[in-house]
Amino acid sequence: MRTARRIASRFAQMVFVLWAVATILFLVFRLMPGNPLVAYIDPTFTEEQQQELLQRFGLDRPLHEQYVIYLGNLLRGDLGDSFFYRDSVTSLLWDVFPNTLALTMVALIIAYVIGVLLGALLAWLRTSRFEGIAIPLVLLSRAAPEFWLGMILLAIFSFQLGWFPAGGAFTAGSEAAVGPGRFFSLDFLRHLFLPALTLAIYLHGLPLLLMRSNMLETLKEDFVTMARMKGLSTWSVLVRHAARNALLPVLTAFALGIGYSIGGNVVVETVFSWPGIGRLLVRAVSASDYPLAQGAFLMIAAVMVFMNFVADLLYNVLDPRVSQDA
Amino acid sequence: MKQWMSLAGFTLALALVAGAFAQGDRIRSIELLSRPQAAAPQEFQSAQLIAQAWRELGLDVTVNAMPWEQLADVVWYERDVWDVTAWQMVGRPERGDPDEIVFNLFHSSTAESGYNFIGYNNPAYDAVAEAQRVETDPDARQAIVAEAQQIINADQPYMFLVHPQVAYAFRSDIWSPDSIVEQNGIGIKNFWSFIGAQPASDQRDMILNSADVVQAINPFYISGAVDSWITELIWDRLLRVGPDGLPQPWAAESYTWVDDTTIDVTLRSGMTWHDGEPVTVEDVVFSFEAPMGGEVPMYAPFVSGIESVEALDDSTVRFSLKQPSAAFLVTSLAKVNLVPEHIWGPILADLVDDPDNAESYQEDMPIGSGPLSFVRWRASEEVVLETNADHFSAPSYDRWILRIVPNSEAALGMLRRGELNFLSAYAGDPQILVDTSQTEPINVVASTDIGFRFIGFNNRRAPFDDAAFRRALSLAVNRNLIAQAAYRGFAVPSNSPVSPALPFWHEESVMNFETGIDLAKSILEEAGYTTDGSGRLLYPDGVSETLD
Amino acid sequence: MPEQTVRIRPSRRQAFLRSLRELGHVLISDRYAFTGALVYVAFIVVAALAGVLAPYEPTEILFTPDGMLAGDLPPSADHPLGTTSLGRDIYSQLLYGTRSALLVGLVAAFFVVAIGTLVGLVAGYMGGIVDTILMRITDIAFGIPFLPFVIVLSAFLEPSIWNVVLAMSLILWRDTGRVIRSQVLTVKHRSFIEAARVSGSSTARILFVHIAPNVLPISLLYGSIAVGWAILTEASISFLGFGATDQISWGYMLQDAYLSQALSRGAWHWFVPPGLAIVVIVVAGFFISRGYEDILFPKLKD
Repeated sequence: MRTARRIASRFAQMVFVLWAVATILFLVFRLMPGNPLVAYIDPTFTEEQQQELLQRFGLDRPLHEQYVIYLGNLLRGDLGDSFFYRDSVTSLLWDVFPNTLALTMVALIIAYVIGVLLGALLAWLRTSRFEGIAIPLVLLSRAAPEFWLGMILLAIFSFQLGWFPAGGAFTAGSEAAVGPGRFFSLDFLRHLFLPALTLAIYLHGLPLLLMRSNMLETLKEDFVTMARMKGLSTWSVLVRHAARNALLPVLTAFALGIGYSIGGNVVVETVFSWPGIGRLLVRAVSASDYPLAQGAFLMIAAVMVFMNFVADLLYNVLDPRVSQDA
Repeated sequence: MKQWMSLAGFTLALALVAGAFAQGDRIRSIELLSRPQAAAPQEFQSAQLIAQAWRELGLDVTVNAMPWEQLADVVWYERDVWDVTAWQMVGRPERGDPDEIVFNLFHSSTAESGYNFIGYNNPAYDAVAEAQRVETDPDARQAIVAEAQQIINADQPYMFLVHPQVAYAFRSDIWSPDSIVEQNGIGIKNFWSFIGAQPASDQRDMILNSADVVQAINPFYISGAVDSWITELIWDRLLRVGPDGLPQPWAAESYTWVDDTTIDVTLRSGMTWHDGEPVTVEDVVFSFEAPMGGEVPMYAPFVSGIESVEALDDSTVRFSLKQPSAAFLVTSLAKVNLVPEHIWGPILADLVDDPDNAESYQEDMPIGSGPLSFVRWRASEEVVLETNADHFSAPSYDRWILRIVPNSEAALGMLRRGELNFLSAYAGDPQILVDTSQTEPINVVASTDIGFRFIGFNNRRAPFDDAAFRRALSLAVNRNLIAQAAYRGFAVPSNSPVSPALPFWHEESVMNFETGIDLAKSILEEAGYTTDGSGRLLYPDGVSETLD
Repeated sequence: MPEQTVRIRPSRRQAFLRSLRELGHVLISDRYAFTGALVYVAFIVVAALAGVLAPYEPTEILFTPDGMLAGDLPPSADHPLGTTSLGRDIYSQLLYGTRSALLVGLVAAFFVVAIGTLVGLVAGYMGGIVDTILMRITDIAFGIPFLPFVIVLSAFLEPSIWNVVLAMSLILWRDTGRVIRSQVLTVKHRSFIEAARVSGSSTARILFVHIAPNVLPISLLYGSIAVGWAILTEASISFLGFGATDQISWGYMLQDAYLSQALSRGAWHWFVPPGLAIVVIVVAGFFISRGYEDILFPKLKD
């Protein structure tokens, strides 16, 4: 009962944040200088035609009316039409969103599997000299600009060695690119490898350090000491107790990571010519395609807010320790 | 004696002060617009070099790079607010006739909203530009076009930089090199290569690249440059500009001039639309009449010279012109796409009551009659076309696939790996491409473009309203340096809107011009410009800065 | 991480001094922190002396004696790292890049920490409606994807390295704010705070004199990470083409190298050094913050 109430309150909070972000975005795009229809109008349009267009996009109305229309459209999932592509923003976004999601998820899964294992190992080897090399290395991987890392990987593994494709998500004209099975085709995975690796190198540091410090902490807790005294082997103590308890924060970080990465992928998508939502956003912003930029931003924000909500649930609601003392 | 000296000194000081008052104002800080390095590296680097040269004249210059769309917004729609901008005219087959360049770019009638965005206004030039339009004798017209180029040289409304040599490449293990056609002033990336390429291996897809995304696939809309490659392949035209720059029959079997203003065109028989319907003379009439209504504004100029179009029988169409036109074959018959009336008739009818026009209508499945037909379009990834086997000039490969690859480095990598087999867009250093071709089965072809790169002075605004000032700025910049440094030697210095790739029309005499900072300074001095104590350039005496 | 604890000293001003001293001690005794601090000092020196150390102006286009462009030169005595395609000295750019990096990094970090700390202090101490409002604003900040936000902002503003600073100040205080608030919650009912309240100290005084010193280490921890974040973000934004082109930064150098096809030219001397410089300065920040970890996670020290 209590849990249900907590979930409901978190959910309400999520809706509130979404509304606030949408409102901020509306204000940013409407209050900015410049003709909002720039990308739509071409030199042959007369003044009259421009007025007609302003009218059609509702841009001639007072701001508050525009705002109400905007919110109404959002609720119906209507993000308007892209000025540049002259196509519905929703369909353009859905075209590329799965690519971004696939890249993000694969990269995160690789990063977290490796990160968790290495983190546990490091905690285990706490006193060894190994750590003195491993920790700086991990920090290095998190300090390198992703695009720079991507450029170097691309230069070596694609341009020089020719092992992987130089960009894109599919081979040209691939029939695998159409239809629901596309994300499981070998072709897709081959194209996914380098960008996912780049991201994973950047992302694995967090779960690694998190896992390590959580495990170290858990290893000092009384119940672990108890378990040890009961004569359980160190290995089973490690796996059964320490690792299990240390995993929850890592899982939370994973959920948050999805949200953060989807927005942060922009540069990697650019280096690898990955047809994703980040590249679409960059393209839309430089083309002054406001509806598309707004839509892409909102979509990224929505994923992020939703994943924040999920992480919140994982951490605050499902974790028995936290809910008990609330 | 001492007193006399101090009196003299006093007088001198007075004269100096008076002189200082008579001096013109300091010229404001000048903003040079350019596209960003990512999109146009050569243009951006040229702008940097030009800014450095102009600074030596005593100008304060900042380079402001902005994406193409934002740049176009300022330069086209706010024609009063900018100073100087880097710009380009791209080579298109129709620009093989000098009319579009000579008239549209510099005639004062296009200054308000047309191509004369720099606001150049010279009645003497207007007269010449109009005269070449109606002159049908090629030699007489050549002389008029030459005169136009000389006026432009004297006035320097633009500062011409270079005619670039555009480099394209293809994999010679995939395409038989003999079948790739170099079109004069356009390069190997052209219609004739696209339909004539012969596969040399079992790879039967032509895979090309573009840095720009495809905006629209629409026979009534001239959008991005890339889009036109696709429209040319999906939709036929009555004539085509051939590899030699001259119009030749295409969907028309033949054409005959009945008199100065009447031309009869015979349609090739047995053509069908991609949906299986036959191509009829009614479709041809429709295609030319549609732009005369209000719904197809971009094509309206190409049919504006037509008095009437009518079908004489089921294979002949007669065009009656308002006046004799030297360029009609190229700018109209080889320009207007043939579209199916059964598809576009209802669409245009619906658009009449809509503020939008045909330009914003996107067919889900574009239907033309051309050598390739539409398969699919994924906005951020690729456009796929397939060979129309029924066409009279069907390519001998299977599919034509245009990949969207946003940068040169990736495109080059893809070409080397065979992910692309025809490099149709490359903004990078051509020398790298040439070096690559030494070790790989890659053929590189660099051709001098019909188009040119230039700096547009805003002729409406001081100090650029002064031809002497423009001339000085222009002569301050070493064109060979621009060609060598920014274009890596893959460019020809330019001083004319008509490219040397069009030898018949190009006026060679304007090319003999010297450049140098000292020369520029002496021109400025002669025109009354001076510098102040800190070396900043001042307007001539009494002229004040109005735009600070 | 609510379990974090800070050793609280009941004294007032000494608390502040003591935490500073403690930080100083950590800097010297922890070899990571010491290395990090050393790197920072080195970069600061380079930034200050860039004008003296750099053989050329970073944006000056250089020519060879025969009047041709001195572009794409390999490393030599004249140009230790060669020149760019447009004839600019890479070594000089690298040195001047230190200025932009430190400027962006330190200014952004300052604002992130200052705003975050202020929000956290006020929300945590005042509680009630103030807390609710501030925390809802924090939630909103957490709902805004950072890099896309910088991109959108950069599109509307003139390209400048300050866009990154502005965007970070508007958004990234969120983490600091939340953590500081939870710290304040654990501190505010301590006896010495109660004592101050009873003795009639003003709210501002309690906040800044009594509570603030206790959360300072965390603020600095987040600050040293924010420096790295700012530098990385500036580099990303430059790489995407939304950066300033008249101000030399490492991000600009990398973008220039990439667009000038340094990869294809094999010009490693061009695109490796700026990347390494970024890595080194960001890692230095991490090293320092790892040193602070010892204060933050005293339990881990055996």
